[in-house]
Amino acid sequence: MKPRTIVIMIFLTGMLAGCAGVDQDPRSGGLLGGISGLSSGSYENRVKEREARLEQLRATQRQLDAETGQLEEQKSAAYAKVAKDQAEVNAMQSEIAQLEKKSKALAAQQGTDQQRVAELDKRVKALKSKMGQQASDLDALEGSGLGDADVDLRRKQLEKQRDALAREYDLLMKMQMELVQ
Amino acid sequence: MMLVLSASCLAWAAPLEEIRQILREKSLKPPAESQLAAMSDENLLQKLREIDNYARYFESDEYHSPMSRRESWVGIGADLVEQDGKFFLAVYHGGAAELAGIADHSRLIEIDGKSVAHVDVESIADSLKGMEGTSVSLFVEQPGGRMSRFQVEREMFSPLDVEPITPGVHQVLRIRRFVGGLTKSALLATLDFLGRESRAATGARSDVLIIDLRDAGGGDLYEAFDVAGLFLPQGAILGTMCRRADDNREIRSTDGEKFTMPMALLVGPDTASAAEVFAGTLQQYGRAKLIGQRTFGKCVTQTDVHLSDGSVLRYTNAEVRLPDGTSCSGVGLQPDRDVRDAELRDLTWLVSEADALL
Repeated sequence: MKPRTIVIMIFLTGMLAGCAGVDQDPRSGGLLGGISGLSSGSYENRVKEREARLEQLRATQRQLDAETGQLEEQKSAAYAKVAKDQAEVNAMQSEIAQLEKKSKALAAQQGTDQQRVAELDKRVKALKSKMGQQASDLDALEGSGLGDADVDLRRKQLEKQRDALAREYDLLMKMQMELVQ
Repeated sequence: MMLVLSASCLAWAAPLEEIRQILREKSLKPPAESQLAAMSDENLLQKLREIDNYARYFESDEYHSPMSRRESWVGIGADLVEQDGKFFLAVYHGGAAELAGIADHSRLIEIDGKSVAHVDVESIADSLKGMEGTSVSLFVEQPGGRMSRFQVEREMFSPLDVEPITPGVHQVLRIRRFVGGLTKSALLATLDFLGRESRAATGARSDVLIIDLRDAGGGDLYEAFDVAGLFLPQGAILGTMCRRADDNREIRSTDGEKFTMPMALLVGPDTASAAEVFAGTLQQYGRAKLIGQRTFGKCVTQTDVHLSDGSVLRYTNAEVRLPDGTSCSGVGLQPDRDVRDAELRDLTWLVSEADALL
């Protein structure tokens, strides 16, 4: 078959700094396979598999720790934004109430400048609109669980991978013990 | 076939006798002694390819295990794909390009106001690369024909091992590579996560699964078998590993969590190797429909051997037979629904076809 597509990773990464490229072929040989691939192989291979899995497990845990830190930072920032927005909404509500009161009082007075009343009404209307938007954004932020769906998914993937790797590592340890005996 | 382009070079002496011995004793097709004798430090890479098209040699400091996941990268969050002289962006979920609004498999027309026509692929890639925080202006033709200009800021990015993409109401998951010990668990986590999300969302369906393998160039074969086993009953033959001297080993589906929803797999000429075995196995059991174009056609596996000086030899050590005993090498997999080039790049269109087929 003809290779018709060339793909170049256009990320900036140290991985590509070497001489030769790596094509994405499958590995085999019972070494470093999935659970199905652990049914054969020499003692030496078992040790290599265990070491590789342990390193993978550690790397996944490191990434999970980093993600957790990042998530905590994001949540802290989100909570701070919610608090700030809530304070703004409260201030606006207070301002609207005062303006409405003032507007009504002015309108009740004989000979009042009608233009000033209209301006106040306009200001009240604009504030109410802005507050509505602010409250809506706030609801959206709170409704999102204060997290990003992709971050949540990434975390879930990493946790599942960590658990699977830990199980596989335990299995390898057990198989190695059996081989030693 | 996917390739990461970079200049090949060999700066120091390789343990040639060790390499000859391994190829002589373990490679799927033993090379002629004259071919082995002709290998030297100067021509090693070339001679290796003459013996085995998939064989590679890596010095210790340049080797990156295919078992490792992708690390975090700085960039626009896309791969550059060249097809018949045209350039496309394979966009990663959650990356800068996607966040800027660029649809996957958009055709690249201009970079920073300069046309990419008649420019070599390496120069284009260099123009797209850059430091974190810098930006690039991209003029693209999106699938469907709409022309748009985007400003994309390069940023740090960690791709997901299984990427959810959601045109319409279906669960579409993209796998670009089968990574040993990681892809199956990432898929399980994603199915669980999206299952809950879709139950919460109005109109979303979790009863049909579409897996996008168009850019899946392979990876770890056993991981691909393990993922296929999620969709087949315990004991089902997933494939047979055929080595030298009639050393054939059947791989069977294990017990554990199983999924029964109808499936469609999106495939194309870049779907290769482990991804082809995964797709072919599910197709032969009637467990999944294949939509797209004929796949690459590589049903052989390689293994990596660490040599005494720390360098690594990769060579072909087995052929993989699909459950019906056939190999996809040289012929690829024929999809149940064949599509044209433009349709193959249009995910929304493909998903609607999958919907009709399921």
